[in-house]
Order: sequence, then structure tokens, then C-alpha cells
Amino acid sequence: MNLRDLLSPFFVWQRAFEKPYTSIRPTIDRPGAPAYRGFHINVSEECVGCGSCHSICQNHAIDMVPAAEFEGRTGDSGLRPRFDYGRCCWCGLCVDICTAASLRMSNEYAWISEDPDEFHFTAGVDDKPWQNNEHGYRRAEGYHLYPPKRIEMDMLSPDESVQSFEEVARGYSEAQAKLEADRCVECGICVATCPAHMDVPDYIHSIRDGDYEKGLQLMYRTNPFPATCGRICTRRCESVCPVGILGEPVAIRWLKRFIVDQVDAKDYPRILNDQIIESGHRVAIIGAGPGGLSAAYYLRKKGHAVTVFEAGETAGGMLRYGVPSYRLPDADLDKDIAYIVSLGVDIRYNTRIGKDIDFEQLLQDYAAVFLSTGLSVPSNMRIQGEDHARVLSGLQVLADVASGRDPGIGSRVAVIGGGNVAMDAARVSRRLGAEVTILYRRRIADMPADEEEIHESQEEGCNIVPQAIPVEIIAADKPQQVSIKWGEAEMVQDPTGGRPRPVLQEDRMHTDTYDCIISAIGQGSDLDFLSKENQQQLAIEWGKFTPGEYQQSALQKVFVGGDVANRTADAISAIEDGHHAARGIERLLNPDGFTATQTDNTGEPA
Amino acid sequence: MNELLERLQRHFDVNNINVLKPGMTTLKIGKDSAEILIRELRDREGYTHLNFITCIDYIEDGIFTLVYMLHNYDSKHTLGVHVDIDREHEEMTSIHTLWAQAWTYQRELREMYGINFPGSPRLDEDFCLEGWDQIPPMRREFDTRVFSEERFGHREGRHSEVPRVHMKMELYPKRGGDEE
Repeated sequence: MNLRDLLSPFFVWQRAFEKPYTSIRPTIDRPGAPAYRGFHINVSEECVGCGSCHSICQNHAIDMVPAAEFEGRTGDSGLRPRFDYGRCCWCGLCVDICTAASLRMSNEYAWISEDPDEFHFTAGVDDKPWQNNEHGYRRAEGYHLYPPKRIEMDMLSPDESVQSFEEVARGYSEAQAKLEADRCVECGICVATCPAHMDVPDYIHSIRDGDYEKGLQLMYRTNPFPATCGRICTRRCESVCPVGILGEPVAIRWLKRFIVDQVDAKDYPRILNDQIIESGHRVAIIGAGPGGLSAAYYLRKKGHAVTVFEAGETAGGMLRYGVPSYRLPDADLDKDIAYIVSLGVDIRYNTRIGKDIDFEQLLQDYAAVFLSTGLSVPSNMRIQGEDHARVLSGLQVLADVASGRDPGIGSRVAVIGGGNVAMDAARVSRRLGAEVTILYRRRIADMPADEEEIHESQEEGCNIVPQAIPVEIIAADKPQQVSIKWGEAEMVQDPTGGRPRPVLQEDRMHTDTYDCIISAIGQGSDLDFLSKENQQQLAIEWGKFTPGEYQQSALQKVFVGGDVANRTADAISAIEDGHHAARGIERLLNPDGFTATQTDNTGEPA
Repeated sequence: MNELLERLQRHFDVNNINVLKPGMTTLKIGKDSAEILIRELRDREGYTHLNFITCIDYIEDGIFTLVYMLHNYDSKHTLGVHVDIDREHEEMTSIHTLWAQAWTYQRELREMYGINFPGSPRLDEDFCLEGWDQIPPMRREFDTRVFSEERFGHREGRHSEVPRVHMKMELYPKRGGDEE
């Protein structure tokens, strides 16, 4: 170091009084480029809290945190992304993956604070000046990190499908299933909406891994009818799938079916490995439908002896008699049922409670009863002449066909109703060679039937006449025919805000003659097997139960479920009712919780 | 344009010709003929400008695809020359003798993908990543998340919830699959 180095700082001072070379100019706010990747914007109203931004972030800069105002919404986790700007690198992957396209970036880039903890905020929830910024990075139109369209299911053409009762949906190939599985972001929002809360992302993941045995195990955790639900589930899961916000939802139902189709029934015992240690308790189940057999499965797993009382000659309930085999082949329903029965479930066929055995007797002989008798009585149209011999019920037609009997519908048929039973009865009639007209009171958009069923029935040549109200059934000239008088309806807005009401137009009446009229406007329960006293004890109202916690009825040892005890009246809800009732019965029989007998062969608690 | 492609196809084994949009075409050429083709395009076909060189990692196929983007100012046409190289033997002829600026791109590709360009000036000097001690970060086997977890600090008090678990706790705590 020399002397000059020591003195040079002082030489600089002499310039302090010279005219500066630089000048002070006012600070100008320079906005970022229009597509600049600045601070994050989240439109929280559109966000569903799927957490894909959190999952994709390579810097672990995003947390999902509860946002109270969004809790409890259908298809919304109630969580919102919180950003740690100590870690963010503004790569924009979170914007690119966002399933709802609610996450964006502003072109704002200046944020000054002396407190480092300030750079940590929940976009769209914490108030930030750039939340409504119209510029900044957006995902380009048409740019998706996963394909927005689902893999199409191969279907029989309508010309082919009406020729037979062969299954219409052909199933995915392995390559198709893997591509479809790859569209799942594994957020798990669907799990809450699924009535049975199936482990959807996990079993879809098992397809990615090609581990179908794991997939099957995961499904049986919550649903012992996967072959069935993989075909005919009402799939409410798909209605909330976040992938469906910008594209088509993941085909969850077809993926479930794919897994089951890959596994041979003879391998089920080895894969599912249900070890049963007898508890010594006996439980009775009334009705061998999806609810009853689901309860039977989970009760057997807890070691209870299960006896199922079934009035019909086969098991499956409405799945057997109400769902035609072109949607659910018998072999697939049997695959599910056979495994449940193989665990030692005793099914007493052709045994009607109230006739062959008294309900009171069950209460005495069994530690608990699960009642799941479904809705088996067709509702009346409540019009004159409907007791005509050529007026058939949709349920009866479906049951006849399922049992191999000829329902005798003739060659020109009118179906009354707009639900799934009406669509099924119509499509069955087409397969029996009949010309089919469907009369429905409201608009096609109002039909309660599955959209897919409405579409397929039209494709198969069923003629849907909407806004048609049946008025009277009249005897026709020939005894094997029947006439229906019906009137056109106008939809009138309900001033109280309810759904529009069809109003009969008296001046636009028609009378048509058919070989038969199939009435399918709904169904009710048949609880006549219970005595008046039992009915009172069970607090039945309007032919339905209102179960309490764990599906328990007003009688302590009676649990109820399925269509007779829920509003949704679909298979998956019945399956969940059965599962939950099994839990309730387990609590009743083992009030101290899981006992020492509840272990499997690994010694782990089951 | 078609005439150009015909001329090229007469002398070179070019394939995968793909018209991306008017004024932009890509084609593929084998590694050994690539430098000669690019030289031909520069000297005889008017593609005098090198826009950039970049790379795509097709890890599943075991290849890097190098992309040489060339421009012809007279015809206002851009031509992308794609060259596949083996990921295990990631080496390519340097073209810094054709365009001096090429060595900068090649230095970047060396740093980001680990591709070697023998003879390219200053190839092994740090480019953007000073003091980088990991595998090249644009190679897809580089796990960005693990790196950032290990390398960067963690803010106190952070907590994240899993949507599915949160919904179960809030909406149906007693239902769903029993925990085993």
C-alpha cells in the first residue's frame, strides 16, 4: 500500500464543490411489459383450491392455507395459495398448471419493505394493489400442460347397440387408460364429493404405475362394487373435477372400470387378503342390493356373522333388476357380488320379512339389523284409466327383461317419464324391436336422467316428446292396444323462484294409440312388512327413513340406508350408507372401540 | 421454398420437414452431415443469419435435439435445423467458425445441458451459473425441487394443507376409508 492509496479518499472531497456531471431527475414509474411476470394475482372466486400450483412449484414457494370465506363450497377445498417471495423465482409454472386459470401474474414488480416477512401473502385474499392489474403474464390461449379433452370411450354405434343387449361402452385399452390417467392432477377435490369418498387420485395413480392390484385394494377400502360403479356410477366426482373447469373432467368412472377389468376374479382373495376373525356377533341385513351387500362386506371384515334376507331370487337389487345389461353386464355385477359372498355372507333368497320371518324375530335373534329395502313400488301417474292392462310399469319391464321373461310390450310403445328408469325402459324396448316415444312433462334439459342416457336413447332412435302431460288412459279398439290422451304444456316461471312449472294447454290435446304404455315416473318404498308399531318406532315419514349418525334409526339396533333412507337414490350413496352403517354397528357391538380381535395376520390393527 | 427443399434433399438426408407457419420451416438432419448442411445454407442458400442455437431434452428417448435457427433476409424465411445427439455422448461439431457468436450459445449449452463442442472458445468458463457444482440444471434428471429444498433457506412458521385431507377434516371426518 502506498501513500497515494491512503490519501485518495480525501482528494475526492475536493470535487464536492464542482458542478456535477450527473443530474437528479424525477423517478418515473416504468410499468413492466404487458406480459411481464410480476406479482401474483389469484381470482379467488374462480380458484377451487386444488393445490396444483403448490404441487408444481419447484421452489416450494406456495402453501395452501385455509381461507374461511371459501370453506364448505362444493368442489372447493376452501384453501388458497399463499406465496413466499423469499423463494419464488417467477417461472410461471403455477400459472401454466392452474386448473381454473384463476392464477395469473400482474406486470407490477416494485414492492419495497424493510420487513422481510411482508413478502409472504395469500394472493386474492390479502389486499394487494396489483390484484386488479390487467397486464402481466397469462397462460396463452389453448396452452395446456395436460390435454383438455378426455380420451374417448369406444362405444357400439347406435345401429349396432339396438340389435342386442351387449355392453355399449367397450372399455379403455391400457394405452388409453394411461393417457387418461395422466390428465389427473391428483388434487383429490373429488374425494369429498364422492358419496363413498373413494380414494380416486390414488387408484388413478395406480394406473400410471401399472399396478392394478394396488388399485383394486384402494377401491375396496370404500367400495365393494367397483366393477358395477365403474360402469353405471352417477359419478358426481366428475362434476367437480377441476380439470373439467377448462376442459373435460377426468373420466374417473371409466378408469375405475379399467382397473377392475384388468384383475381376474380368481385373484381377488389373494390381492384383497381379507382376513376374518370371528367376533361372535350376528347381524341381519334386509335386502341384497348395493346398500345391504356393502354393509355385509364391511361387517364381515369386522368378523360379524352376516345373514342377508332377500325377497327376490338373486342378489343385486336394483342393479340386477333396474339396470339393463347393456349398461351393466350380469357378469360384472356378479364379479362384485361373488367376492362379497365369498367372505362367508349367508344370503337367504326368496325370503320376505313379514311373511317368511317376522321383523320382531330379527330384532330378537340378531345383535343388529341393517335395513336397505330400496324403492320397489312404481308411483302412479294419478290419471284416469291407468289401471288398464296395457299400462305397464317401467320397473316391471326392466325386471322381466333382466330375468329373461318377455315383457310383452308389442311394437309401438309410449314411455312416460324422464328419469333413468324411463330411459332404460325406452332403450330396452328399442332392443326388443319396438318403436318408442317418450312423453315428458318438462323440457329435455329438465330431465332427471343422466345426460348420457338421454343422449344415447335419442341416438338409438327413441323419440322424445317434451312438454307433454298425460291426461287420461282410454281403452283402444283392439284389446291388445291402449290410447293415451295427452296435452302440450307451456313452461311458466315460478314467481317464488322455483323451477318453471309445466301448464297444460287445454286447446292442444292429442290422443295416440300404442301397443302399451310404460309408466316410469318414479317409485316409492314398500314398508308394509313392518307392523304399524314398528313403523312408528322407526319414525318412518312419507315412506322414508331419516337416519341419524352412523345411519342409525330411531330404534337403537336398527340401521337403515340406501334409496329408502337417502335423497340421492343412487348406487354409490347406498354403498356408502352400507359402509357407514357397518361402522355404526361396529360401534354398537364394540363400544370400547377396536378390540383385540380386530387384527389381521400381520398383527397390525385392521 | 419447395425448390430449396428439393435441392437439399438431393444432396442431404434431410427428413421430418415441418412447415410450422408461413415463413418458418423445420427439418431434421443426421449429426454427421449437420455442419455441412448449415454451411451450405449459409453460403449458397442465403441463410446468412444465425438467430440462436438451443436444445430440447427428450430424456425418454435418450436424445438431446439441438435446434439451429437460421434466417434468410432476402426471402424473409426462417429455417430450423434439428439435430439429434445421443444423451450419453453429448458432443457436437462447433459452428463458431461459421458465425463467431455461435460460441456464446455453445458455452450456454455446455453449462445448461453439459453438451461438449470441441474447439469452441472459452467453452468451460462460467456463463450464467457462477460456482455451479451440480449436474447441468436443464438436463431433466436435475431435480430442481430437491436442489431448492437443500440450497435455500426456509421461512419460519410456514404451513401448507393438503386439499383432500383438509376437506375430510372439515366435511366428513368420520367417513371415507378407515385408516389402517
